[in-house]
Amino acid sequence: MRRVFAIALNTFKETIRDRILGVIVLFALAMIAGSLWLASISLDEAGRMMKDFGLVAVTLFGLVVAVFVGASLVHKEVEKRTVFVIFSKPVGRAEFLWGKFLGLCATLFVVVAAMGAFLFATTWYVAHAPSASILLAILLIYLQLVVVVAVTMLFATFTSPILASVLGVCVFVAGQLSHNVFSLTKLGHGPLVKVASWVVFYAVPDLSAVDVKASVVGEDVARWSSVAFWSAYLAAYVVLALLVASWAFRRKEF
Amino acid sequence: MSTTIERLPESVRRKSSAPIIEIRDLCKTVSVGFWARKVEILRGITFSVNEGDVFGLLGPNGAGKTTTLKVLLGLMKATSGDVRLGVSGLADLGYLPENPYFYDYLSGAEFLRLAAQLCGVEGVESEARVEALLNDVGLSDAADIHLGKYSKGMLQRIGIAQALVNDPQLVLLDEPMTGLDPVGRVEVKAIIQHLRERGKTVLFNSHILADVAELCTRIAIMKAGVVIWEGHVEEALAGASDLEQFFMQRVTA
Repeated sequence: MRRVFAIALNTFKETIRDRILGVIVLFALAMIAGSLWLASISLDEAGRMMKDFGLVAVTLFGLVVAVFVGASLVHKEVEKRTVFVIFSKPVGRAEFLWGKFLGLCATLFVVVAAMGAFLFATTWYVAHAPSASILLAILLIYLQLVVVVAVTMLFATFTSPILASVLGVCVFVAGQLSHNVFSLTKLGHGPLVKVASWVVFYAVPDLSAVDVKASVVGEDVARWSSVAFWSAYLAAYVVLALLVASWAFRRKEF
Repeated sequence: MSTTIERLPESVRRKSSAPIIEIRDLCKTVSVGFWARKVEILRGITFSVNEGDVFGLLGPNGAGKTTTLKVLLGLMKATSGDVRLGVSGLADLGYLPENPYFYDYLSGAEFLRLAAQLCGVEGVESEARVEALLNDVGLSDAADIHLGKYSKGMLQRIGIAQALVNDPQLVLLDEPMTGLDPVGRVEVKAIIQHLRERGKTVLFNSHILADVAELCTRIAIMKAGVVIWEGHVEEALAGASDLEQFFMQRVTA
């Protein structure tokens, strides 16, 4: 466990000291600040507009970090041959992957927390009242991004970083449409479409189940017990993805 | 640490002890390219390294020296053959890769602390060891400088320091003199000599044969994936003016 922590801490230092991360966060903050202008021209919908626009910004910029850093994290170590040093120490392949994953999750937490805190403050300023639900929505966005990190790292163990990034984005998009895929399993024409829909539904993490943006902006009412259940499901999905990634990584030669 | 290199008396150099590395009929085949063409890198190599030896693994580029070290470390799996290590796993082993590259964003001291943690060396012991190693490799003044700003020679020295952070019994060094200026070479040779004096076993690859002759007790020469000669340095020097001449005779034969 100590070795996992050491690798996680090193990965956190590596990613948090990367200047590109600062640029991404600045862009995100600028976009959230820009939504103040949008809010100012919207009639009686300023708070809703801010939340909607802001949560999308947090999701998109968080996704950029999760996918692009997640895809290159392990590959960079192999390419630059730092894995030679790591694996010449008594470090297991699974320990290495878990360490990298936890380190990136810590960085992602800092990034999402920075964007979330700014969004919380700006919506408070616009709506003249704090919104606790926005904090919960941001926490669930973070959970979705953690799933994307795990899946992208899994792809990165057996493919190139670019392909892993593309696949990571695809899984995120498919995960957001999971409910539509579920509808296809009932309404799809022909057994092939139905079987394919079931396969996609079970293989892709159901990220839409923990998406509470609609309830935060007042378009829907979130069923929190179901959100709690699906959060546990996503946590299990992360563990499974990393177990498969560890198995694939164990077979790799350097 | 002294930077003068002295050869130990022959009686000491020839002192035989238990093998710490035993390699028998080791083969490694890899798949290359889109059509997974099979290429044999190691074709049944056999040699052993005794405890306390400074062993030189020589050979032209592509002979399979680095692959042999990677198999020893478990970075690659042997296709067939036996590899036996007389140490208690990676916890008692140190390794310096060829042309090492480390984390640019860490300082020298941070990197050594990470290496120590990965070896299970923590707390006060870790701090003491990091400080001593930085001193040994002459990088105390650069301890807080990021590795991205280190010269090639400094990287080589911090690489050696990380290999020794767990005070291993067996040290594997892949081209430790490459890219070093004369001062750096003398310093690295002094480190190897110091390890020898402490009874450590060192296996290293090098193309700088004068250094090999100066430091090693035994050598093996590899060519195209096989060991073509193994023995004491004195035996090699008996029939040739220097190790370079002996090496050329064997490799071009």
